[in-house]
Amino acid sequence: MFILITGGSKSGKSAAAEKIAVSSGLPLYYIATMMPYGDDAHEAIERHRKMRSGKGFETVEKYTDVFEITIPKRSAVLLECIGNLCANEMFSANCKNAYEKIFRDIELLNRKTGLLIAVTSQVGEDGIVYDSGTMEYIKELGKLNARLAGLADCVIETVYGIPLILKGEKLHCL
Amino acid sequence: MILIVGGAYQGKTEYALKNYGLDRAEIANGKTFDFENTEIIKCISDYHEAVKHFIENGTDPIEFSEKLIENNPDIIIIMNEIGNGIVPLDKSERVWREQTGKTGCFLAERADEVIRITCGCGVKIKG
Repeated sequence: MFILITGGSKSGKSAAAEKIAVSSGLPLYYIATMMPYGDDAHEAIERHRKMRSGKGFETVEKYTDVFEITIPKRSAVLLECIGNLCANEMFSANCKNAYEKIFRDIELLNRKTGLLIAVTSQVGEDGIVYDSGTMEYIKELGKLNARLAGLADCVIETVYGIPLILKGEKLHCL
Repeated sequence: MILIVGGAYQGKTEYALKNYGLDRAEIANGKTFDFENTEIIKCISDYHEAVKHFIENGTDPIEFSEKLIENNPDIIIIMNEIGNGIVPLDKSERVWREQTGKTGCFLAERADEVIRITCGCGVKIKG
């Protein structure tokens, strides 16, 4: 099963994702895609670590090529977040076709696990026209989100902590 | 407490006027309000701007909000969703965006009803 969670900054995406993962009863893996550079990244990583602590997640740091990780078949994988993954593939790994590549990688990852929960984000709704690199990023991530939603069994958008079901059945744990 | 959220210019204030029998004069604006006598106001709009005001004045937005709804449990709060864009380069913009997110989550949890407005259409997402 593949669940995609989207929403704005600080809208409660991680809390919803963790709740779903924990309620699955499966061994838990957390794929962290955020590169630990800069004060903000350190703060975010620390905050998320605190949120996860005591819940039994094994953390794997993987900034690109997420399909490569080795995990037991019966496991729940929380991938966070696709926004960072997309930026890493585009700007650190210089991938020319990030949207196609990440979609394929996530498809492969999904086949390896019992439950994949991927957290992404909404970045294209502020109406600001940025430089061409940033505009390209907004486009690639938007297309990727739409394609991943097509693959997903369930798509959830969080709005100020409230989970809205955009696709699939309501989950009892939320 | 009723919370009305949505993007900029989606018709949140109009929705409040139409559905909760409010008069325009009864809506305080979070950008210009003096934050005195908060127990008597019926509705406050642009609460995301109020969050910016609180940060600038060293007030914790969540602590303020907690007191506000304790003293005025029937208030209608209108705020934008501002977190659905690119992470701002400017630190103070990032802090505002984060604090607005946290405040919104806090208010939504305490609210009896949460309405989300898109293109003028209200969808009740809680209550």
